[in-house]
Amino acid sequence: MVGAPADAVNRLPDPDRIALLPDRIPHIKPRLLVAEGDPVAIGAPLFEDKRDERFKFLSPAGGTVQRIQFGPRRSVKAIVIARARGEEGEIRFPLLDEQGLAAMERAQLIHRILEGGLWWVLRALPFRDLPDPERVPPMILVGLAAKEPFLPSPSVYLKDQAALLGFGLKVLGKLTAGPVVLFSDARSRAELGPAGAMLTHVVEGAYPSDDPGAVLYHIKRNAAENHAWFVSGADLLLLAQLLRQGRCPTRRIVAVGGAAAPVRQHYDVRLGAPLAQLADPGRLTGTERWIVGGLLRGYASSAEGFMGLYETSLNIVPADEAPDFMALFNPGWGRPSYSRTFLSRLNPQPLVYGCKLHGDRRACIACLHCANVCPVRMLPHMVYKAILAEEVEEYLQLGLLDCVECGLCAYVCPSKIELSQTFIAARRAYAREQAHKRE
Amino acid sequence: MNPIHKFFLNQHKHFQPGRPLARLAPFFESMERVFFGPGTVTGQSPHPRDSLSVQRYMMLVILMLLPCLFFGMYNVGLQAFKAAGQPPSFWPMLLFGAKTVLPLVIISYLFGFGWEIVFSAIRKHPISEGVFVTSMLFPLILPPTTPWWQAALGISFGVVIGKEVFGGTGRNFLNPALTGRAFLYFAYPVQMSGDAVWTAVYKTGVQAVDAVSAATPLAVIPATPAGGMAEKTLAAAGYDLGTLFLGFYPDSIGASSTLLCLIGAVVLILLGVASYRIIVGDILGILAMGYLLNLLAGPDSAPYYSLNPWYHLLVGGSAFGIAFMTTDPVSAPHTHGARYVYGFLIGILTVLIRVFNPAYPEGIMLAILFMNVFAPLLDQVAVGLQVRRRIPNV
Ligand code: SF4
Ligand code: SF4
Repeated sequence: MVGAPADAVNRLPDPDRIALLPDRIPHIKPRLLVAEGDPVAIGAPLFEDKRDERFKFLSPAGGTVQRIQFGPRRSVKAIVIARARGEEGEIRFPLLDEQGLAAMERAQLIHRILEGGLWWVLRALPFRDLPDPERVPPMILVGLAAKEPFLPSPSVYLKDQAALLGFGLKVLGKLTAGPVVLFSDARSRAELGPAGAMLTHVVEGAYPSDDPGAVLYHIKRNAAENHAWFVSGADLLLLAQLLRQGRCPTRRIVAVGGAAAPVRQHYDVRLGAPLAQLADPGRLTGTERWIVGGLLRGYASSAEGFMGLYETSLNIVPADEAPDFMALFNPGWGRPSYSRTFLSRLNPQPLVYGCKLHGDRRACIACLHCANVCPVRMLPHMVYKAILAEEVEEYLQLGLLDCVECGLCAYVCPSKIELSQTFIAARRAYAREQAHKRE
Repeated sequence: MNPIHKFFLNQHKHFQPGRPLARLAPFFESMERVFFGPGTVTGQSPHPRDSLSVQRYMMLVILMLLPCLFFGMYNVGLQAFKAAGQPPSFWPMLLFGAKTVLPLVIISYLFGFGWEIVFSAIRKHPISEGVFVTSMLFPLILPPTTPWWQAALGISFGVVIGKEVFGGTGRNFLNPALTGRAFLYFAYPVQMSGDAVWTAVYKTGVQAVDAVSAATPLAVIPATPAGGMAEKTLAAAGYDLGTLFLGFYPDSIGASSTLLCLIGAVVLILLGVASYRIIVGDILGILAMGYLLNLLAGPDSAPYYSLNPWYHLLVGGSAFGIAFMTTDPVSAPHTHGARYVYGFLIGILTVLIRVFNPAYPEGIMLAILFMNVFAPLLDQVAVGLQVRRRIPNV
């Protein structure tokens, strides 16, 4: 695959504008706490979740709220902050050291995380929603590897951060009654140095073997463990930073990759940085697709967009809109495919992945490619039919809640059925329904 | 700009919604796809998509059927010349075969594709590329003497009744080509079975005959005298192992050559288009049942009992059915495990039908259709087993 980012890290200056994108945080219902023109400091609450007011989202920058963008049905797309020149105002939080952590009650610790506005780094399976603070998770999964193309390499973002990671793991240990599972692949174990020694689980195989849901699927022993929580390694560093230093984290390591990206490497940037800071639009033709996040799960954005809260990468790939002449009879030396129907199978060179659909929407032909690639051994073609037929019992039995939303099934489908998007929508709908029932 | 691309771009407007040809838009799309892959890009994640399309998937099957078609033409000519006592010579035989076979193929495409266009216009579904495979399969399993109107009727029945009434490709549970063939078989047994239909008549002008009677290997076997060896009878009729394997005997147009089917199956398996699970199941089923009957065979039992099981794979279109019919993914079960069982049961049924019901020597055709019906049931069992292995997550 063409487009992997180099390991070099460049520290970029603070940009003029920084944004928080509420509608890129799944499940939440934001209630704004600021209006356009309000002054804000780093750590000042910008919005909270209507479902649980303790879930606060704090400002990653100091300055004034320049603009609040609304999407359809008054969803909040972006809160853009014009950064103050010079020193930004900042709200400080209490410090916590190792002894303090050891002596602390779970409830107190949770209170600190909630107040520090970083509860969002924790998420609960199976819905990947912010967890209920009152619930004690059976297990917490922490994934370091980054197998989705292209995410920051753990050996880059964990460099010299082993102590912070260790602190983060201790925090998680307080939150769960069960184990904290730190996993990565065998290669990164060797590369990570001291952090590698902390691993409790090694994953094998290609993406998405490093997804917490996929790991859980393989290690769970009973149904109670379905409600495990997870944190990504990069987010855990943010959490540890907040507690340790008493300051809102404002920077993270971001990878820029993809076949069309002008410079492919890692950057140290502000949270919510504008995408134009990461790739110079002047060096692009304007037709490329900007994907925030990995190629398979990220969302499409543009040069005017910003980094999302969870996202750690920007991928720029050719949109590739010209129809292929004689595509049907092309032996396909350079055509990536999961199937064996292209000569690219034998091509050792990295291939370019564009955004073309390479086919038309058709009925399922039962080729079973989707079932072959699913990391949690679902039968996506059958789940899809069950969802269309609204057979709730059936699709739950078939494992819809195990789905890790990896997108591989939709990638391989020759009939170009939007399998993974359908599953994501069905899972969200089911999660909403369950929440309704609880109320 | 590429002139062909220009042509399609120019024609495209006639098929837009609201224009007179709007209903034929699926037809336009399918024609355009012959030359161009679509330029559509993904709207949402996952952003890249596999280069494989259904069109290519189907095209590869057709590609592997072409050798069978050409061999079929040659063989039809060969058998006709043999029967007419003409000295065999390559080009005239091929030409004669082509004259016999191509009209059937063309009729099959005209009617198969025609119905697909009609239904796509009425029901507003896209043209399903499966119909191109169906229209190729169908003539290959007809006897060369099939009247044209019957071929038209058969493919129409297959596409309309076998597929469209169930909602089109993806929802049909019967293999449409086989449905059409079976329909003809039961509706017009005279033209579809017996000894007289498998060889086209080569009219030399002087002694014009109406039909040439030449028994297919399937029909030869039951004629084995009691206590005799079926293989010997076959050999005596000119059907030794090599002939059977290579396919130089009167049979359906394209189904006689085990060798070409074998090549087709191997290539399709290597490309990942045909399910090797079904094929393995088929072969094991046929061999297992064949051996079982061998064990049961006594001196008075029907000759089929003692037939060497490997022969079952060579005669009666077994190889063709295994390579191209059982592997139709839509009418087969939709789980890997069930596909082994599906194949195995087809194998068993094929042999059983041949042995116990000599009236229907085309065992594999009926066996496949029969198992098509049961495929959903097999799936249910397989899915049930899988669900039980999962740790529930509700
Ligand atoms: S169903 Fe699709 S999206 Fe879900 S885990 Fe399986 S392959 Fe991934
Ligand atoms: S990959 Fe697509 S066509 Fe193939 S079985 Fe799955 S849903 Fe059906």
